[in-house]
Amino acid sequence: MVFENPLLLGAIGAGLAVGIAGLGSGIGAGITGASGAGVVAEDPNKFGTAIVFQALPQTQGLYGFLVAILILFVFKSAPEWAMLAAGIGTGLAGLSAIGQGIASAAGLGAVAEDDGIFGKAMVFSVLPETQAIYGLLVAILLLVGVFASPGVTTIAALGAGLAVGFAGLSGIGQGITAAGAIGATARDPDAMGKGLVLAVMPETFAIFGLLIAILIMLGIMF
Amino acid sequence: MRPARMNKIRAVILDEKVDPVIRQLHESGLVELYDLSAKLEDPEWNALMLPAPSAEYGRNVASLTIKVSRLLDLFSSVSEGEKAGLSGVLNPKVPAKKKLSFSSSEEIISNVENVLESVEGEVSEPAKKLAELENRKTILETLKDSVKYLSGFDLDLKFLGEGSYTYIVSGLVSQEDISELESSLEEATEGYVEIVKGNPVNKSEKEQKIPVIVATLKQCADVVGAELRKSGFERLDIANVEGTPSEIFNDTEKELLSIETETKAILENLNALSKKWTDEVLVLHEVLEIEKERAEAYSMTGKTDRTHLIEAWTPKKHVKKVQEIIESASEGYAVVEVSEPDEPVEKIPVMLDNAKSVKPFEMLTEMYAPPKYNEIDPTMMIMPGFLIFYGIMLTDAVYGLLLTLAGLVLWKRMGKVSSGAYNLGYILTLSGLSTVFFGILTGGYLGDFMYQFLGMDIYTTGFALVNPLGESTYISAAKPLLSLGGIDVNNGPMAILLFSIVAGIIHLFIGLTVGLKESLANGSVLDAFLNQGMWILLILAIVATVVTGNMMIAGGAVIAVIALCMIKGFMNGGILDALLGAMDITGFLGNVLSYARLLALCLATGGLAMAVNIMAKLLGDAVPVIGILIAVVMLVFGHSFNFVMNGLGSFIHSLRLHYVEFFGQYYEGGGKKFSPFKAKREYTSN
Repeated sequence: MVFENPLLLGAIGAGLAVGIAGLGSGIGAGITGASGAGVVAEDPNKFGTAIVFQALPQTQGLYGFLVAILILFVFKSAPEWAMLAAGIGTGLAGLSAIGQGIASAAGLGAVAEDDGIFGKAMVFSVLPETQAIYGLLVAILLLVGVFASPGVTTIAALGAGLAVGFAGLSGIGQGITAAGAIGATARDPDAMGKGLVLAVMPETFAIFGLLIAILIMLGIMF
Repeated sequence: MRPARMNKIRAVILDEKVDPVIRQLHESGLVELYDLSAKLEDPEWNALMLPAPSAEYGRNVASLTIKVSRLLDLFSSVSEGEKAGLSGVLNPKVPAKKKLSFSSSEEIISNVENVLESVEGEVSEPAKKLAELENRKTILETLKDSVKYLSGFDLDLKFLGEGSYTYIVSGLVSQEDISELESSLEEATEGYVEIVKGNPVNKSEKEQKIPVIVATLKQCADVVGAELRKSGFERLDIANVEGTPSEIFNDTEKELLSIETETKAILENLNALSKKWTDEVLVLHEVLEIEKERAEAYSMTGKTDRTHLIEAWTPKKHVKKVQEIIESASEGYAVVEVSEPDEPVEKIPVMLDNAKSVKPFEMLTEMYAPPKYNEIDPTMMIMPGFLIFYGIMLTDAVYGLLLTLAGLVLWKRMGKVSSGAYNLGYILTLSGLSTVFFGILTGGYLGDFMYQFLGMDIYTTGFALVNPLGESTYISAAKPLLSLGGIDVNNGPMAILLFSIVAGIIHLFIGLTVGLKESLANGSVLDAFLNQGMWILLILAIVATVVTGNMMIAGGAVIAVIALCMIKGFMNGGILDALLGAMDITGFLGNVLSYARLLALCLATGGLAMAVNIMAKLLGDAVPVIGILIAVVMLVFGHSFNFVMNGLGSFIHSLRLHYVEFFGQYYEGGGKKFSPFKAKREYTSN
């Protein structure tokens, strides 16, 4: 299927990338911001810390923005379905920002009690970003024209975007686990290692999504 | 590569000689005292000795500390508003250390008392005066408020209260209640009452009150009081004054003004005194804190009739020195015994022992968890990986330069007073240099700034090795880097992805090898094989496949590993675990793919920098006249934002790769940190 203007699907993709990822980042940053407002009311000196934590769930929106710019300005000649898929994948995976917002809110709460836990809370809060990174990764692979299989040039490309995008929603679950693990680590600093193991579990599904996306792009389909 | 080896030191010391020993150990900071109190509850030990109490002089020290803290509070309250400013933060003043040496607590206490006496001699007078003035000020302010309501009356207020025959009281009544009050008072006193009303005043926005003065016979004071209370009468408390309300109002205002000037003078005086004495008092405070720690150290020792038993941990390399200190301080009246750790591993304190160039990175290890005593110290292995990954993820020469400068300020300036800033500054400086290196490699100078604004495409010149977003002189469709199983690595993103995966596999391989060694040292060969060995073989099989191009090797290895995982699961807990075990392979795959974030974050920095440049250019071209200005603002804000966001992101993602993927192969952590018995000296030196 070829449209009159090949950039048509690309433009929709760019819109979805910025739109959905922005939605995720907005909600995530909102959740962290609410926690931040509470913390700052208690201790105005924590304003900087609150800003840093609130910055974390905003990266998904930036990835969406980045992919939109790449579609519209740089990889204009990529296959049209690949452009749409890149946008959808990055956008949906960007919803992981909701999970990251939950984790960051918990991290900020823990840091408000004890400054020493800043680094650990930071590491936990960044876990749910992996999903968005996989989305960005697939988008770039789709756009740079590494693969020329039917998995990229036909409507099949959408499958790759949807796989990495929806699997990226596992970031919400991961954020909830990470929030719990931050609470555990705040009580017992030794719990960090085990907490990390638990918090990484939900990432398995994001990896499944990434794998299927790569298989589709390689054209390995039955 | 392991934490410092520890020894336990046990010393029995004659009573009279304990104090100098504790003093000198505290100065040296080489040992961690072992708290004997728990051990002494054991009946066998209890028959030999009792837990010792804190030292006697602790009480004197505590009371002096309170005095000194109070002085410091006073000083800080009078010298408010003298903030250090940004330059002060960036270039903090290291306090000059005052050299003091005392040999006993009596000497210290009497010295502190002497200094305190002279400080208090100068300070207490103005401080007392200040408190008095503040007191007087509050009284006057209340009086002023009360009198204000009565300004309409022309009455000498000295008549208020109980006279020889009369009782006069002033207060506020709300407008609705006034007529009722009048009639009820009339009734209660049988007419012997006089109520004078003033003009309504606004107490707050909603409430209008009427000031009244009620005069009655002395005998009726009680009934009048009762009636007044019932009606919600607000009594104005005015006593011991003379003159009409307006006279008094003016007088109080005058007095308040004079108090103001007097307070100011005293504050200036106190401020000068605080400047003169603060340093001295801080010294006292520190000396007392140190003394307090020493007094409390006694409670960790055991006591017999004439001796004390001290137990302490010390790193092996300091044992000789500690022994000498104890023997010389006690003038020989001590028996010292050194032994290998006699406690379970979890209780042995852990001191990381790295070269000076690696030491700041201990911060990153400890953020996860310090190693157990018998575990490997991963700091040395974190350092190269952390720096390389950081550099790849940020990849911009200009950002790298900025980071290096920021790191240097933290390290060399703020690091003088804060060890946290020192460590972080050191790490950031090296990370910045790594970023510059990778930035040059990938031709990133504020993204594609040179191309957008100067029209220079660095990727056609041969100065940049890889173009993260496309082709470069060295890697292009015409000149693919290499071909792997039908996929050409013929552009920047693919080259970086290949690099990421290869770096990931090497990183995991290192972790697995270390883990294998550890497992072999601590357990059976079978465990070592199932935990690490088979993954190492899998990696080797993948490498063999790539080299020979024979897919059978990797395929066979994958099937074998899945089978082994299932067997391992079955051994741990039956059929269900066996099925779960089959999933382990995805975990391994996930670990490898996780390193693909190197590519994604590398592109995110470059891509967003490019987006900033594109937007600035669009704005600059679209808006007439001031377009250039807007473009410059856009560039400055956009790049600062991108630098901070991605600088932070690269830091945590680099850490994550170590904590989750790398540590997962061999490191557990959870040791107890060595916390030396050490005098914290900031203002003094011994």
